[in-house]
Amino acid sequence: MNFAIKDWFINQALDHPKRTILISILLTAFIGSGVRWVVIDDDILKMLPEDIPSRVLWDEVQDEFGSIDIMFVTFGKQGQYAVNGEILAAVWDVSYALEELPEVDEVISIATLNRMDSDNGMMLISDLQAARDLTNYDVQDIASYLDRNPDIKTRVISRTGEFTNIVVRPFTNGDNKQLANKVITVVEKYLAGFEVHYGGQPYIMGKIPEMIRDDVPILMMAGLIIMILILLANLRSIPAVGMVISVILFSAIGMMGFMGWVVRLTGSDRFFFTLANVSMPIILLTIANSDGVHILTKFFREMRNRKDARKSIRTTMNALMLPIFLTSLTTAAAFSMLLTAPIKPLTGYGVTISFGIAWAWFLSSTYLPAIISLKKWKMDSKAVTHASFLERVIHRFGKQILRHPKRVLVTGLVIVLIGVIGIFMVEVEVNFVAFFKPGNPIRESIEFIDREMTGTMNMVVRTKGDMKNPETLNNMLAIQEYMEQDSEVTTTISIADIVKQMHRVVMDDDPAYEVIPDSVGKVNNLFTLYSMSGDPDDFSSLVDYEYRTGIITTMMRTVSTNRIADFVRGIELFIDENIEADLNTDITGLLVIMRDFAHLMIQSSFTSMGASLFIIFVITWIFYKSGRWGILSIIPLTAAIILNFGLMGFFGVDLSHVTAILSSLIIGVGVDFAIHYIAQFRNFSRNGVSKESISREVVDDVGYPILLDAGSNMAFGALIFSTFLPLQYIGGLMVFAMVSCSIGTLTLLASMMEIFKNNLYKT
Amino acid sequence: MVKHVMMWLLPLFITAQTGEEIAKLVDERKTPKDMIVDLTMVLTNKKGKTRSSVLHSVSKDGGKKQMIWFLSPKDDKGVAFLKIEHTGKDDEMRLWLPAFKKVRRIVSKQKGDSFMGSDLSYEDMTNRELDEYSYKLLGQEEIQNQDCYILESIPKQEVKSTYSRHVTWVTKKDYNIVKEESYDRTGRLFKTKLFKQQNIKNYTVLKEIFVENVIKRHSTLLIFDNIEVDTGIEDSQFQEKYLKRLPK
Repeated sequence: MNFAIKDWFINQALDHPKRTILISILLTAFIGSGVRWVVIDDDILKMLPEDIPSRVLWDEVQDEFGSIDIMFVTFGKQGQYAVNGEILAAVWDVSYALEELPEVDEVISIATLNRMDSDNGMMLISDLQAARDLTNYDVQDIASYLDRNPDIKTRVISRTGEFTNIVVRPFTNGDNKQLANKVITVVEKYLAGFEVHYGGQPYIMGKIPEMIRDDVPILMMAGLIIMILILLANLRSIPAVGMVISVILFSAIGMMGFMGWVVRLTGSDRFFFTLANVSMPIILLTIANSDGVHILTKFFREMRNRKDARKSIRTTMNALMLPIFLTSLTTAAAFSMLLTAPIKPLTGYGVTISFGIAWAWFLSSTYLPAIISLKKWKMDSKAVTHASFLERVIHRFGKQILRHPKRVLVTGLVIVLIGVIGIFMVEVEVNFVAFFKPGNPIRESIEFIDREMTGTMNMVVRTKGDMKNPETLNNMLAIQEYMEQDSEVTTTISIADIVKQMHRVVMDDDPAYEVIPDSVGKVNNLFTLYSMSGDPDDFSSLVDYEYRTGIITTMMRTVSTNRIADFVRGIELFIDENIEADLNTDITGLLVIMRDFAHLMIQSSFTSMGASLFIIFVITWIFYKSGRWGILSIIPLTAAIILNFGLMGFFGVDLSHVTAILSSLIIGVGVDFAIHYIAQFRNFSRNGVSKESISREVVDDVGYPILLDAGSNMAFGALIFSTFLPLQYIGGLMVFAMVSCSIGTLTLLASMMEIFKNNLYKT
Repeated sequence: MVKHVMMWLLPLFITAQTGEEIAKLVDERKTPKDMIVDLTMVLTNKKGKTRSSVLHSVSKDGGKKQMIWFLSPKDDKGVAFLKIEHTGKDDEMRLWLPAFKKVRRIVSKQKGDSFMGSDLSYEDMTNRELDEYSYKLLGQEEIQNQDCYILESIPKQEVKSTYSRHVTWVTKKDYNIVKEESYDRTGRLFKTKLFKQQNIKNYTVLKEIFVENVIKRHSTLLIFDNIEVDTGIEDSQFQEKYLKRLPK
């Protein structure tokens, strides 16, 4: 950093502290005023890239056939058969109330289903449930119809017979959260006294943002309080902690305001605050905390020696301006790698947090020294005169490490190598159920519907061909039969099933005719017959208007994306080997998209990690004018990344898009320690500290702020207590990143620099 | 002064008609005894995709007896439909399925069910009984260059209907219906119908009907061609056995 600029900053802060504070606060307030334009968009599906092939296909299918993502409401009473007058009246009330919701395209339940009967040469299409209040005879008639049509019964009655299902099909591209909440409101109005379970993608996707909103503020506040307590215990000065916290809060206000201003000025949805941005304030808090902690601990140490606040802050800022600038620059550069991310919100994330980091640096370099210089510090306070607990710990810890540097280095490398083995055990997996802790109501509902009903997930096979051609229809049935052999598939439905049913009805309900007719003419006659009394839209979710494209909808239990990948491969192989006709098939569904999306994100996260490491290396090289400093700066970080994935492998934490993104963020919070260590080593080596004692001095000097910084940031480990796994992972990762990067710096880096100090001293 | 105003208002009172009177005049229009017509039916869904069929219809007694043969598309050719409306009991409807070589009875329990996959329901196809509705004159408007009454018809409580009310534009000149809006039971606009008429042998008969299901954004266009009226068709022509014979 240019000395003139450095001096200007320090002089501004220390010679004109009030002006500097005022300008900093006014600028923060101005930028922060953009907060009013921050747009919160918590639709998870909007985060999925629109150009991955399975998503393109999914959109095409939804455009043609309506939404394929359905929500389930399952209710009943234990020990009571669901087909009874009371439950059917409730089904009626709920179904028709749900149909009134503007978000709902269609409701499928006993109350809304049609029945197809054959009566003395007559095809009778009528309502399965004709009225709300039914006689015993009507109830028996419905029960017997369902018994005669097990495929239909599976969709509406549970395995045990105690629960009935209402399927809610929303309009495409609707707001899942709004839908889920409105459906629940209707259900609560009519189904008091029943055991109710919810499921389906819109429900899960709609409830996740709510859970995050419930969890994050409480856990973040808890984290912030723990952070303050840790800082208080070590700094032992309320004003000092207040100063650090004010830098943190001003940085966060600046960052959020910046986000709002960009939306205001550009209208770009890349800068909407989405679920991907939830980790952003937490990450910024830790980075801003780091700057403040380094400045205040150094300041107190200097005060202990110099007994002069003004001189101490000047010395502190002289020593730390460059490393703080460098850590901010490298961190911002690492985050800017998110610009290459395949999902829109992450590009905005990268730019926004880079601004937040820059703002934290600006405040740490101006506002913080200014406010420190204004305070009348008591020279006899414990904060100044006594070393804190952590300071004493690091003093002893440093001694041990530097006594046996080679042993420490070898031990560290062995641990990293073990981590490498763990990497090979990492499984790429996205499982929605595993997003929730056992016992969580959402998880329990999903598991109930998976166990008792048709399952909460679905997949679609789009088939292109002549949908009135018996060969095409028979091929669809063959694919369905193959899929139904899978233990996770509960049922499948296509237009071929309807043709079979119509054929049987036309042939006087003879079960022998529950097959596809043998000619196009017959199939066509069946459709014409149906159109005489059925609704023209009855088949719109199964076949397109021109009978050229149909879909097979597969209902299945919630499975992982790995399992889905195997399943899809199996279907594709079956089609290749067994279907000869001109039938083009494509497979999609949310799970298939999630599989593709997870792979894309993992690939992108690794690219981003590699690029970030390279940029940090280059920046350090340029500033310290030597490649060896560049290499040393990324050693603890590289070790932390390896250990992160290694431990995931050993402890069975799946590598998903969520864990991959968050792991790539580890770089942002972990890069600082090594740079501070290197900066102080160089500083001491140029200022006369002897080669023999230099490592000892550096560990004593930066070891404490590194540990305090890491320790206080670990407070955000409180997120581990979230009921939502990705939030737990942010918490866990925060603790892990802090431990691994700080210990890595104070062991691996410290021992390496001690071993190679002859080559590093005064370079 | 009062006298002067009354002089101006008097003609208005003399010519004003009630909703009931207008409905009665619509109902009493002269209709042919029988009609033979070729129909082109074009169905269009919300994405603008269409399906077309050509039908041949023979009807009598204002459509109470009717036979329809499908002439195209190729896959539907030969399918034929017979309908005989009865008072006090279910209508009789049969369909000839040439590929199965079977005649099948069909029953629609719901008046709102679609007729032949179109946006017209059986209720739309049936003549409204005058005394089953209450009427109100809502106003007057010029539409399709014709002065029209705007007539509201609300089904009486005892009448089972899929609609809550209809608003109909009736020409003042000859009481023909040129437009109608039908509202569902919740009061939402459900269907919009536009009618075009032509005169054949002193009868005003339909030339074109366009129906749009506003909720589903699906529409049906029916075009009437080669119309013949009062041809003298016998009642005996409306029998199942004639369904199998495609008219030349």
